[in-house]
Amino acid sequence: MPDLDEIIHQPVRLRIMAALTSLDAREQVDFTYLKGKLDLTDGNLGAHLRALEEAGYILVEKTYVERRPKTFVAASAPGRKAFAAHVAALQAILKPQ
Amino acid sequence: MSQQLSPDEAAALLSQVESARATMRHVIREHRGHYHLWIWGAAWMVMPLLAYFGGDQNARYFPLVCIVAGALSFLAGFSQTKQIRRPANLRFGAVLLTVWSFAALFPFVLRIELEVRSLYANCCLVAMQSYVVAGLWTDSYLLWLGVAVAALILGGFFFFPALFWIWMAVFGGGTLIVTGFYVRHFWR
Repeated sequence: MPDLDEIIHQPVRLRIMAALTSLDAREQVDFTYLKGKLDLTDGNLGAHLRALEEAGYILVEKTYVERRPKTFVAASAPGRKAFAAHVAALQAILKPQ
Repeated sequence: MSQQLSPDEAAALLSQVESARATMRHVIREHRGHYHLWIWGAAWMVMPLLAYFGGDQNARYFPLVCIVAGALSFLAGFSQTKQIRRPANLRFGAVLLTVWSFAALFPFVLRIELEVRSLYANCCLVAMQSYVVAGLWTDSYLLWLGVAVAALILGGFFFFPALFWIWMAVFGGGTLIVTGFYVRHFWR
């Protein structure tokens, strides 16, 4: 049975990865927009994104749009792979042995 | 770690994954270009209707309609990149520029008489050529839309010349608008 990924296993991070991997590989989503869509607070989303970034599962880009700071987030290639493996591991638990 | 989770817990986590994916599918549909299809669909309705009701001389207003639609389309695109963005694809931009630049030269090189309907049909075909190229490059719905509308343009031009302007308003502009609704509500 494949192992679950301990970083992704946390429910909020699982939802974040599910959301980010739904986008195309080249697409990035705005931090504030993602926060609203997942119904999270700034601090909560920020902390979980840091954990995912440290694991190399997401890419974070800070930039300015109309002179305002903006943060864009995207799933990295290793993050997509790890998430797919994690979901496969969850599905394996559901299947009868 | 897998062994520590019960099937019920795993099912609950997978349900959260599906819920987040569903939310993002909705977001993706909001960013798949339906505003552009609606804006240009409306422009493609207005232009032929201007010519149909006011005569071919009203074609002089076509560039103005295109400028307004282009500005609205730019604003819609700019507003959406604040939420979801992808790095500018310069190579793709260069391909589209090449398509339009060469298409603009062909009528002069071939010394074709610039009759309004021919010119309009040609411009619409070049636009659909861009859709097909964009579809091959990015999202496949654009490919099928480009092929279908190009076929409709040719059908109207060759087989229903008396109805050309109405045909173009309904099957050109109308198809773009209906596709906009399809993309907004059903695509992926």
